[in-house]
Amino acid sequence: MRIGIDVGGTHTDAVLIDGDSVISSTKALTSVDVTSGILEALENILSDSGVLESSVEAVMLGTTQFTNAVVERKKLSEVAAIRIGLPSGVGLPPKIGWPEDISRSLGDHGYMVHGGTLYDGRPVAELDWSEINKVIADIKSKNLDTVAISAAFSPMTSQPELDVAAQLRRAIPEVNITCSHSLGRLGLLERENAALLNASLLKFADSVVTAFTDALRQRGLKCRFFVSQNDGTLMDAEFVRQFPALTFASGPTNSLRGACKLTGLNDAIVVDLGGTTADIGILQGGFPRESNVVIDVGGVRTNFRMPDILSLGLGGGSLVTDEGRSIGPESVGHNLVTQGLAFGGSVMTATDLLVAAGKTTIGPNQSPVRLPTQTIENGLRTIASMLNQGIEKMMPSSDPMPVILVGGGAILVADKLEAASEMYCPEHSGVANAIGAAIAQIGGEVESLLCYQDIPREHAIKKISDEAKLIAINAGADPKTVRIADIEETTISYMAEGSTRLRIKAVGDIPHQAKGFIA
Amino acid sequence: MKKLGSESLADLSAGAVFLATGGGGDPYVAELITKAALDKFGPVDLLDPDDLDDDAFVVALGGVGAPTVSLELLPSINDAVDTLRAFEERFGKKIDAVVSFEVGGANSLIPIIAAAGMGIPVIDGDGMGRALPEAQMMTYPISGVLPTPALTTDYRGAVTEFHTKNILEFELEIRQCALSSGGMITSAEHPMTGRQLKASIVPRTITFSVELGRLLREYRGNAHRIFEPMAALFANSIYGGVHHLYTGKVVDSSTKIIGGYDVGEATIASFEGYGSPLKISIKNEYLLAQIGGKTVASVPDLITILDYETSTPINAERLRFGQRVTVYGVGCPAFYRTEKALGFVAPRCFGFDFDYQPIESLALSAKPALPT
Repeated sequence: MRIGIDVGGTHTDAVLIDGDSVISSTKALTSVDVTSGILEALENILSDSGVLESSVEAVMLGTTQFTNAVVERKKLSEVAAIRIGLPSGVGLPPKIGWPEDISRSLGDHGYMVHGGTLYDGRPVAELDWSEINKVIADIKSKNLDTVAISAAFSPMTSQPELDVAAQLRRAIPEVNITCSHSLGRLGLLERENAALLNASLLKFADSVVTAFTDALRQRGLKCRFFVSQNDGTLMDAEFVRQFPALTFASGPTNSLRGACKLTGLNDAIVVDLGGTTADIGILQGGFPRESNVVIDVGGVRTNFRMPDILSLGLGGGSLVTDEGRSIGPESVGHNLVTQGLAFGGSVMTATDLLVAAGKTTIGPNQSPVRLPTQTIENGLRTIASMLNQGIEKMMPSSDPMPVILVGGGAILVADKLEAASEMYCPEHSGVANAIGAAIAQIGGEVESLLCYQDIPREHAIKKISDEAKLIAINAGADPKTVRIADIEETTISYMAEGSTRLRIKAVGDIPHQAKGFIA
Repeated sequence: MKKLGSESLADLSAGAVFLATGGGGDPYVAELITKAALDKFGPVDLLDPDDLDDDAFVVALGGVGAPTVSLELLPSINDAVDTLRAFEERFGKKIDAVVSFEVGGANSLIPIIAAAGMGIPVIDGDGMGRALPEAQMMTYPISGVLPTPALTTDYRGAVTEFHTKNILEFELEIRQCALSSGGMITSAEHPMTGRQLKASIVPRTITFSVELGRLLREYRGNAHRIFEPMAALFANSIYGGVHHLYTGKVVDSSTKIIGGYDVGEATIASFEGYGSPLKISIKNEYLLAQIGGKTVASVPDLITILDYETSTPINAERLRFGQRVTVYGVGCPAFYRTEKALGFVAPRCFGFDFDYQPIESLALSAKPALPT
């Protein structure tokens, strides 16, 4: 059995899953310290189900804490940035183009040294150890203990980053390091930004993982635990301590994956209706469709994998105005339970429209809400047309696709949407994100720039696939279930014929039986 | 004299992506470094070609190589200036002003970095009015300007001189040089007098690109709604009219490298799924648009793909399955419709079995329907 937990801004959801069936689910309020909310949710599902702690094989956590830390510029450590790339890139120092406030949070500690490699693997320059040692001495004198290291073409040739990291560890044994090549893709500035954000979260990640481990132990759970990342795969606890930034946007991903699990549909549109927004995403082959655009996290340009999500200002708490012709984007949010008409409040919300229409009953007294017929009709039409248009924008083709409704606001959709071939609103859809966390897989990804004239295509794909599988296995995937989930080839213009950027992702299941214990 | 400062850069590069017709690469890094240069040295003088002295000495400057490479091998703020200084030293000529190869993509920005650092004006105009893949396709050589003496610098500052007078040989040599120097070099070439420049330049395209970028920003939204203001802007320019070619979804996009270029095809089908799809042939740039085997636009006229929801231009390397797009065609500057110019840029020069016909004689309908 597994437990999935999703820590959102307002609610902490938890589910207990046995194979394919949901045994128990719960919603608790997210606490300020996060941990006590998690403990409350854990307590609820364990006592509800009467399941023994010892029969829980694994706990999966989805959390927005790291995204929020970046967006709110809180709990971020100061970080030294070392870029290995001179003589290229003069005038483009680390953190160029960052908003000033987050740049300040990380401190003014950018360094550029000679080295890195060219597209063909030759060095940009040899590493200059006296230059590097001077940088390390300066970092030491500032008492900095967190460093991000980047180098030109490091996704192809990681050695310069590794060499400088090793030298740093010799000088400052307790140093925390994030090397940019471990965060993937080509695009030095974006990769370096990702490494910097990740490094700035390392200490916070350490405390989150420790607090969560303690919370589980306190509750008598001795199983392994994992944290879900933005592409629907999981990291084990030690991996999160190193790569907290990979949790960015894991919330929408989990709800998509949960919707897939609850319906068995691999290709569908998922509408996650919350209190304030409707998040529309696409399931392709059981995984979220990734976004094409450069991803901005808290104003910083990065190249993280993120699901392609369209957010509409429409949720259960959205304000209804103009006799139902306009809904949202303003919302009473989680104050719906005090301010909504159905709850005895005085604000007309989207939820009240459905209650008044007799499509749902909600609220403490289940008291009917009375609204003019015209307002109800207009309102229901507005909700449907907002969702239809949003779905239209996201659809991969004009053929109607099945639509899966999840989230607490799913009651807003009473009738079939035109844009949908079929509609699904499965049981437990309110905790789809916790379910998504519970069923997430472990993945590994490798990207490389190579020339098919030097290494034949089939050999190249095999070599990179093996590397990706190894990364997944090292991250905790069951070797027997590891498969290749995605192969992306990009030809490079102007370069020698056959020059290709190859990106391969492997995924695998978590071993069914607990493989070791946290303690 | 007109000034160009860092406040115009975002608009300039957005307009430049539109005019790059699919090529040119992501201008983000070039934009950052240009901003750094303008912040350091102050705004540059943007000189109208008509105001240039006939005896002034001008060189064309830009990057040659794979745009993807600059994502890792970052340019340096001094690359452009070092290239011009090396040119002055090696060839013993003082450079009075610098001009762009092509307004499309990052090459619209590189001369600005040089002008800022050298304290000389950048000419308002370029040698293509768009982006095209090869040196001989620029208006400068077509008008008789010799490509050399020319020189390039690489990321180390290593200088290579070129002396061939034959433009096709020059293209071959400089391409090889880029490949063996890390994939991207900066080139100062096509030295010319003010008189020669005036006779060959596509004028005022830098100013136009800024205006186009501003329009894309101000009217950000549905690509059909942007048509009217865009058509009005192009009507007062050296370009021809704007034609709506297609709106639909990318159902296939694949390119492979042939002869050192991205060659391939994109297919765009209507949202409703009926009617013939639009096929676009690519060689770095979008070169040919056909519906049901009938050509609706071709090089040297401009073919640009915009994101349907935001009107953001999408270059070929970012074109993806499932994207909802609107395709526009724009008549090219009159220069490229002359027989002499068509000898270098007509569809047949790219291997298409098709004689060039102006877009206005091909395009099916002028205006897109407004969304309901």
